[in-house]
Amino acid sequence: MIQINNLKKAYGKKVVLSIDELTINEHELVGIVGNNGAGKTTMLSLILDLIEPSRGSVKSKDQLVSKVDDWKNYTGSYLNEGFLIPFLTPLEFLEFIGKLHGLNRTDVLTFINENAVFYAEDITSKKYIRELSAGNKNKVGILASMLCSPEILILDEPFSNLDPSSQSWLKSKLKKLNDEGVTIMISSHDLKQVTDVCSRILLIENGIIVKDKNTNAETLDELESYFNIN
Amino acid sequence: MNKMIELLIHQWKEKIRSPFWQKSIWLNIVLGILGTYLMMNVLVIGYFADVILKKIFTDTDVVESFARILFYYFLIDLIFRFVAQQIPTLSIQPYLTLPIPKNKLLHYPLIKSVSSFINVLALLLILPFFVKVICSTYPPLFCLTWIITVLSLIATNNFVNFSLKKYFSKRPLLIMLLLAIVGLVIYLDVNKFISFSLVFSADLLNIAKLPILVLIPMMIVILSYYIGYNLLKKNAYIEDLQISQRNNSANLSFLSQYGEIGNLMSTEIKMILRNKRPKSLLFFSPIFLAYGFIFYKGPDIDNYMILIFMGFFLTAAFGVIYGQYSFSWESSYFDSYIANKISPFNYVKSKYLLFAVTSVTCFIITLPYALISYKIAFINAAMLLYNIGISSIMLLLFCTYNTSRIDLGRSQFMNYQGTGFTQFVSIIPVLGFPITVYGVFNYFNMPQYSIYVLGLIGFIAIVFNKYLLQVVERQFVKRKYKMALGFRQI
Repeated sequence: MIQINNLKKAYGKKVVLSIDELTINEHELVGIVGNNGAGKTTMLSLILDLIEPSRGSVKSKDQLVSKVDDWKNYTGSYLNEGFLIPFLTPLEFLEFIGKLHGLNRTDVLTFINENAVFYAEDITSKKYIRELSAGNKNKVGILASMLCSPEILILDEPFSNLDPSSQSWLKSKLKKLNDEGVTIMISSHDLKQVTDVCSRILLIENGIIVKDKNTNAETLDELESYFNIN
Repeated sequence: MNKMIELLIHQWKEKIRSPFWQKSIWLNIVLGILGTYLMMNVLVIGYFADVILKKIFTDTDVVESFARILFYYFLIDLIFRFVAQQIPTLSIQPYLTLPIPKNKLLHYPLIKSVSSFINVLALLLILPFFVKVICSTYPPLFCLTWIITVLSLIATNNFVNFSLKKYFSKRPLLIMLLLAIVGLVIYLDVNKFISFSLVFSADLLNIAKLPILVLIPMMIVILSYYIGYNLLKKNAYIEDLQISQRNNSANLSFLSQYGEIGNLMSTEIKMILRNKRPKSLLFFSPIFLAYGFIFYKGPDIDNYMILIFMGFFLTAAFGVIYGQYSFSWESSYFDSYIANKISPFNYVKSKYLLFAVTSVTCFIITLPYALISYKIAFINAAMLLYNIGISSIMLLLFCTYNTSRIDLGRSQFMNYQGTGFTQFVSIIPVLGFPITVYGVFNYFNMPQYSIYVLGLIGFIAIVFNKYLLQVVERQFVKRKYKMALGFRQI
């Protein structure tokens, strides 16, 4: 579904990402792990055409993401606060995203009700997004990414700043979406969450994928050993 | 006091280590030169104020006439400060849990505000006159009480502005009322209906003659400081109040019927109304529409160059000043726009339409100028077409070179964040082209035909705007990565 070929991103002489070939297949739930600055967010940003590659290409359904915008019709994503419009209320923001995909207010409210456990705050609150806590901002971004029933879902550190029950909800939701056929890519520092949720793990170090394997019972131990966690 | 000095050092470091300072050294140098030039001019005016006043007010004592000028000065100074003076805003959150007394943190911005450039200008204006005229004419005690009174008025203006900014900036209609009252006072005084300035001048002299009365202006300073301090102390409560009282106005649901473009326009209008920087631009732009009263009179009414310039300005003041920062306004959420299902063409077109709507609105508001001369209406209509057709496209093209992030929460005035080479360069062709067209026709003694040509060019551009917008769209798509990269720099 997503094909990366000969992809490289450099800032000056410093190469921050270099991937010869990578394919994310349909219905996969891929976890990306790595140290801070390893290149996880860079990789996701390149897939979402937020930054220009120094070399190489990213294709989604055989179309170059940098040339054709069709991928935006079926891709939901949330990387960071820069994806949120700070002066809108959460409901206004979700309505804005919904309208881009032809959803009306009723559709948006139905979606919110279905996921009310996750965003427990009053969605009709007059608080602007910029006034929300870090965790609630994250929740709004994650909900926005799922709103339009995407075929591909890309989330960067979605579990960060979430309370334990929200993390648990999100884990279940991601598995459910994946069961329904959604291709998902998430990055996370939480090795346990990632190995619980994901069927495939990519380990990035210094911009290179050093491990690419399907998850099994030993994956968590392997990762903890790699990161020297006791 | 050591802690206060530490805070001052921190604020200095915050300023010089900001991305704007570091990326725009050349702009800061230009501003520094302009600031120095302004200070020199004010100093010279202050030194020769007695000579100037003797020539203007031949039958009035120069000290009295200076005092009357001070009356106008302090009124206009208060408005100017509200518009232009920045309140020192070291973010106090990191310090709240440290062993620094909270009242010190609250005193800091008030004390720091005393060193404002506007206060320096006031001193440069008043001190030379004080030394040259007052000290050489009056006894020492008179001089002392006179200068203490005047300095107290400067300080009062400083602290009153502080309170005005904290309180009134959330209530812009009250600001307009304040402006109107000041305007009315000046009008009544200039036209000698009520001579406020004479009363002020007399009071100033009376205080100087009776030193005990100097306690009055000093107490006013203390009171204005105390009010500012208390407003700061209550700041958090006021912000909470703002959220619960908010009615999330701007019901722009009617724009939904226009699809994605309507959606984008609705969001941009909300951005303007809900954020300090664009909102302050919006609320003060009507002042530009009043410039006609200055330029539409006397021999200028037959000067086509003035008329073309005014037509350009009146129909595009807000559009150009706001439009120069197109795309930068969305800098804090630009990634959202390029990662989501938003057509670049519609994004660009939504900005074009907003420019057009504001230009038409300005044109309609300034139509009454036609009562001065019918030519004004025709010329402004031609320039409206030109602005919608050409100026908007030119600005959007230049704005694809904007790469500086804008903090929407800070006031527009004396705020050069987001300003770069683009803003200076873009105005050259945008304004230069109509002036050039005028120049060519004026050379052949047919200046009036330049109006027809400019209107026609604008009209043609509007008819073919789809193709022009596609040019902008291609440029935007080509530049979006660089723009996004620049906008991510905090």
